[in-house]
Amino acid sequence: MVEASYGSCTCGKVRRGVLDRLVLGLVDAESHALHAEEVAARPGLLQGVDPRIKLVALVALILGATATQSLLVLAMLFAGAVALAVASMVGIRRLSRQVWLGVLLFSGTIVVPAIFLVPGTPIAHVPVIGWAITLQGVRSAAFVIGRSETAATLALLLVLTTPWPHVLKALSSLGVPTAAVAILGMTYRYVFVLIQAATQMMEARRSRVMAPPDARERRRMLMTMIGMLLAKTLALGSEVHTAMIARGYRGEVRLLDDFRTRPADWLLLFGALAVPAVIMGLGT
Amino acid sequence: MMATAFEFKDVTFAYRSHPALNGVSFSIRLGERVALLGANGSGKSTLLRMMDALCFAAEGTATALSAPLTEAAMQDDRTNFAFRRRVGLVFQNPDVQLFNPTVMDELAFGPLQLGWDKPKVRDAIAAMLARFNIEQVKDRPPHRLSGGEKKRVALASVLITEPEILLLDEPTAALDPASRADLVGLLAREPVAGRTVVTATHDLDIVEDIADRAIVLSEGRIAADGPALDILHDIELLRRTHLIFEHRHSHGGHPSTAHGHLHSGIGPAEA
Repeated sequence: MVEASYGSCTCGKVRRGVLDRLVLGLVDAESHALHAEEVAARPGLLQGVDPRIKLVALVALILGATATQSLLVLAMLFAGAVALAVASMVGIRRLSRQVWLGVLLFSGTIVVPAIFLVPGTPIAHVPVIGWAITLQGVRSAAFVIGRSETAATLALLLVLTTPWPHVLKALSSLGVPTAAVAILGMTYRYVFVLIQAATQMMEARRSRVMAPPDARERRRMLMTMIGMLLAKTLALGSEVHTAMIARGYRGEVRLLDDFRTRPADWLLLFGALAVPAVIMGLGT
Repeated sequence: MMATAFEFKDVTFAYRSHPALNGVSFSIRLGERVALLGANGSGKSTLLRMMDALCFAAEGTATALSAPLTEAAMQDDRTNFAFRRRVGLVFQNPDVQLFNPTVMDELAFGPLQLGWDKPKVRDAIAAMLARFNIEQVKDRPPHRLSGGEKKRVALASVLITEPEILLLDEPTAALDPASRADLVGLLAREPVAGRTVVTATHDLDIVEDIADRAIVLSEGRIAADGPALDILHDIELLRRTHLIFEHRHSHGGHPSTAHGHLHSGIGPAEA
């Protein structure tokens, strides 16, 4: 009798299809969200700052990083972001795995040609093919990577140290249209319901499949699942709208804003706003 | 004589060509506690949604608090506001009901939509958190709550505006026994001085605690309407409307102990 073991082969390596990888990705996204909530509850430096101030301050620092023409200033901003992460009890190992490595690989791949293509002073040659690496090319690549790493670190610090609902309220109190904030809030709320639905559909499918489906069948299953999820999303959307109407919704969302700003928060804001102001003022 | 909360006369409603309500007539007075009983698909949820002006009669007339329950009437902002202030519906699926990012926002939603000022909203939230024992989850997003907590928050999010009429759709659905007992206790303790409570359910165990009158629906029609205890003891009616069923079993697998029970709601009764 031949035993079929779905999803794995005899060499011990787990082979996963598109659907399994999709579900694992969804579950992974949920675990990231759980981790973010746990970090946001820690008694760190940024966790105690008024979310509105934090949002403006970190956006100002990101603007500073993108505006500067000095690698030294960029390095200082990156070091500052790392210091903020440490003071806010955000794990450096997680930052390096979740942000720095990914950004380095992504932006690094994009800027690799620049180190050869930007004309300038040659500083080295690639063995065998003899292409020249220019100082200006390396400098351009360093700017792109440095800016991306700094901006991504600061953005992640915002979402890791601030509960998502507070980010939404901060956006609202800073003048972002309420409808846009409400849509963002509901997306965050229902993405977990849909992740759960997708996971359950996958598990139900897996529990009834006797042998690994071929590629055509897997594609058909993926399309069916996407269609089902879309139908569920539409039905859920309609039900939620009905529930909103039942509680008095008439097209305008009102939010309860209960933030408190301390003197230290204002200090952080002025410090952060000074960075892009000084950089732009100096023109470097 | 008590004023009328709802008056339905020969109401019909269909989802496309599938009839959901067919010639439904009844009247509910203010302050009554009524259970809408019926098997799945009997029309309970549709009727409840119609009572909350979320869908409207295709034929017949329906009024709530002496005002017509029509789409045209609800288009008027003032009528809609007055109605929403007085009538609250707790949906069966708490994932539909709880659409805000946190429990606090959920509780604040209704009062803010009704134009309450913020200090009053904050006071009301604090009171509801204590009353429903949900203070420890106030900053949590709804997807991190247990089934029982979701139901509590859903109930609190509607009761915070102190509606005169409370509509509940299957409040005990998908709850474990402890959460179910807890919720029924909350509903039974709920100060009902003057509050009309209409509960759609097929869970007969809870009816005696939460209702004095029962309306039984079957295939979109009213099969019975009367005191809850009388309905609960009408075995033939309950069997005919699929609210109870006969279950035969034996003890220890011995054929001589084989016997039947009627299940759901009124405790085992020898068949």
